[in-house]
Amino acid sequence: MNVVVNSRRVELPTAATVAVLLEQLGVAGPYALVERNGEPVERDRYGDLELADGDTLIVARPVAGG
Amino acid sequence: MTHDDSLVIAGRELRSRLITGTGKYPSLEVMRDAVMASGCELVTVAVRRIDLDRDAEAITDWLPEGVHLLPNTAGCETAEEAVRVARLARAGGLPDWIKLEVIPDPRYLLPDGEQTLEAARTLVADGFTVLPYVQPDPVLQKKLEEAGCATVMPLAAPIGSGRGLKLRHAIEIMIEQAEVPVIVDAGLGAPSQAAESMELGADGVLVNTAIGLAEDPAAMARAFKLAVEAGRAARLAGLIDEAETARPSSPISGLVTR
Repeated sequence: MNVVVNSRRVELPTAATVAVLLEQLGVAGPYALVERNGEPVERDRYGDLELADGDTLIVARPVAGG
Repeated sequence: MTHDDSLVIAGRELRSRLITGTGKYPSLEVMRDAVMASGCELVTVAVRRIDLDRDAEAITDWLPEGVHLLPNTAGCETAEEAVRVARLARAGGLPDWIKLEVIPDPRYLLPDGEQTLEAARTLVADGFTVLPYVQPDPVLQKKLEEAGCATVMPLAAPIGSGRGLKLRHAIEIMIEQAEVPVIVDAGLGAPSQAAESMELGADGVLVNTAIGLAEDPAAMARAFKLAVEAGRAARLAGLIDEAETARPSSPISGLVTR
């Protein structure tokens, strides 16, 4: 299936979870922040929340700032 | 300074009255050294989309232990955007403290008070500890306090300008009528300006650019630490009133020559 992550199309196995996506992106650090179809995803759901074909995601994280 | 003089924000005791930003350093290593030298216990971070093409280092790997993160909403131009970023940060495991910035103006980076207040009300109702960045506006301060904000953080001068306490008088009024801590945030360019803010009665200061862009950030961080401590100590010691004319320090009677 395909999802859109940060405006880019990403191919994932069917029913992949948020955790699978983050692993594939190589950003499974302590503070990977995820928004799915406009809604924030709670960290404790990363392991079981299955993504659907066509989902739009934002993956963010803390960076240096003032 | 004893622990009795801690800065308390929303029930959390901070021994340092200096909060630092983590931006603008030449490297994360330099940032870490400066944060350690500053003695601060609270640092701001921004939230940004990851770059799928670049494997960037995680800032959290570089922060000293015991330092609390204060995510900000920098880059948000409306209340709606700020609320969205705050919720994203908290859902992903960042603290529920948020440095609320709603800034529609890229030239002076001045915050939008109306949108800030709207976002603050929403975020407080949603359980966040809200630290709003504002223009020094004593009326807005009262509204933000009523909304349940944990601090109010007036700018001394535009972000990164290093111009010091340009809006001193309004900040003085805010300090005089404050019911939650007043943190002078933005525009401080020199430790003397941080000391001046503390002498004025500010509860703390937030500094980023003046440290991050200094030739030696760790040394400058230490200078700000000392200045904040000196300014605070002076405030507690009780500054003298200014006088229009001179007041001799030596006896005016018993002069040898007369």
